[in-house]
Amino acid sequence: MNKELEHSFVELLEKHQNIIHKVCRLYTNNYDAHNDLFQEITIQLWKAYPKFRGDAKFSTWMYRVGLNTAITLYRKSKRRVNTQGFEDFQFKIKAEEYDDTEEQQLKLLYKAVHQLNDIEKALVFLYLEDKNYKEISETMGISEVNARVKMNRVKTKLRTILNP
Amino acid sequence: MDELELLKKDWKKNGDKYPKLSYNEIYKMILKKSSSIVKWIFIISILEFVLWTALTIGLKDADFNQRFNEYHAENIMIPLAVAGYIILGYFFYRFFMNYRTISVTDNAKILMEKILKTRRTVRQYVAFNLIYMTISAFVVLGIQFNKDEEMKSIIDTAAADGELFMFYAKTILVTLIALALVIGVFLAFYYLIYGLLLKRLNRNYRELKKIEV
Repeated sequence: MNKELEHSFVELLEKHQNIIHKVCRLYTNNYDAHNDLFQEITIQLWKAYPKFRGDAKFSTWMYRVGLNTAITLYRKSKRRVNTQGFEDFQFKIKAEEYDDTEEQQLKLLYKAVHQLNDIEKALVFLYLEDKNYKEISETMGISEVNARVKMNRVKTKLRTILNP
Repeated sequence: MDELELLKKDWKKNGDKYPKLSYNEIYKMILKKSSSIVKWIFIISILEFVLWTALTIGLKDADFNQRFNEYHAENIMIPLAVAGYIILGYFFYRFFMNYRTISVTDNAKILMEKILKTRRTVRQYVAFNLIYMTISAFVVLGIQFNKDEEMKSIIDTAAADGELFMFYAKTILVTLIALALVIGVFLAFYYLIYGLLLKRLNRNYRELKKIEV
């Protein structure tokens, strides 16, 4: 029985692992921290899996557990590397795919997002993942109106960081 | 174009550029141990529990305790000890239940509330221990004043010299200072452990609360 559970879980996770990688991308800025967080989220997912009833989609559930782990449970790795390292990191954006200015702008954007606090990052993450305000409010535990207000403030904050 | 829209476009484009972990790599991960803060709070609280219990048992046969037994103050000490153990048991139960009910599937706010509730339990536990320690110290002092032969003769001498008040004042003051020192050390210790462990969580919780105002 337990083996079956393990098997179904690992298979599902293998299929949807991108979600965890994306959370790690926003919340960590070096390779080791990325792997640490990935592992912690995986463990938390596995621990919570017996309670996963399938009334939500597996992926939706992963968003929630992944973000919760990043925001509340994860003890940030002390091995902090400067944010500079982030761009040279494993998900290198291929330069030839973009014109220079856009690439430059994206670099700055990612850097700006990394300066946000944990809660703001969560909102940006859910926004980038095309989640609607209802889903955002359910994941964060705030009202839809508050999610909307906060999202607008985050946008303003990002703009301020980009154009000081 | 809106900056975030540009980011979103790129975010989606990069969707397939993440590492691909194999079935086996993921399988290995689920066998590993979590290092989440909740687990650490739980472990530390158990260690504390063990420490206090070990201290109580360890000191049972110490010299001053042997001597203390001769005072025959059981009618005060036994109820005090029983009350202490009942309350300890209650806290242990609370720690365990807190740990059990914390679930990552809750939304972020509820999860944080639960973790902070665990922290409140820890704080109450610490307060209980310190208060209990203070009460015990004074009860012991009171018993010594009344029952210890050596102490009685000192008191009699002091009374004869007309320095009884000074003697009581000095003894109580010394006890208070010693208690303050011990409490200070414990508070610093708790502040370091739980304060550091929960610093980021507290900050995030405040941030989330701020949105609601």
